[in-house]
Amino acid sequence: MSQTYDRGPVEDFGRWREFTAGMWAWIFHKFTGWVLIGYLFTHIAVLSTATTGAEAYNSTLGGLESLLIVRIGEVGLLAVAVFHILNGVRLLFVDLGVGLESQDKSFYASLVVTAVIVLASVPRFMEGVL
Amino acid sequence: MAERYSSFRSGSLSWLLQRVTAAFLVVVLAFHFFLLHFVHHPAEITLAGTSGRMSQWSYFATMVLFLVTATFHGVNGVYAALLNQGLTGTRKTAVKWVLIVAGTLLAAQGINVALVMNGLI
Repeated sequence: MSQTYDRGPVEDFGRWREFTAGMWAWIFHKFTGWVLIGYLFTHIAVLSTATTGAEAYNSTLGGLESLLIVRIGEVGLLAVAVFHILNGVRLLFVDLGVGLESQDKSFYASLVVTAVIVLASVPRFMEGVL
Repeated sequence: MAERYSSFRSGSLSWLLQRVTAAFLVVVLAFHFFLLHFVHHPAEITLAGTSGRMSQWSYFATMVLFLVTATFHGVNGVYAALLNQGLTGTRKTAVKWVLIVAGTLLAAQGINVALVMNGLI
């Protein structure tokens, strides 16, 4: 089992140049987590239009999807979700003590794979607005 | 390097539940994104199509479990992050109850919406 580490003043972002890969992974995971839980509240609010009927639901979703800014936001959401998933898998392994010595490499791999998946998805996400 | 960075105290119940829900969410979140962005495009989604999917009990059950686990995972993660920033005392208790109430309301509203989509309400 891995050892709990006293991160010290990680919250002191003024020393960000000294951050290691593990610290960045922790910060990115926290940031993407905040975005995802915030989005979940928004998502349920939008889907709640289903309770007022098909017209409200269809026009709300169709209207949002016609906006370029929403599509760009969806690409951002994909990036956040994919990173959180990949880094989450990495954290599960780290917590099990697997691959602890190469956790910096697995963090960089999470970033690269996220970038590849997001870039490959952009055409699909922009269909109909570009 | 062998340091472990986490907002959770390793071995606690909240840590364990966060990991268990994470293992489920990894699969279901990826499935959700794939189904509703690649198999079906969001611009083509209608209530008729949504209701068709939600009327399949396996899909309905998966989505409700997805909502409940995602809500728990998110709220528990926010709480752990705030504790990690040094939240204590009355503020800690207040934040805990605000998160419990917000999470319960979110899950309740989500289940209500799912039941409407399923046709039960």
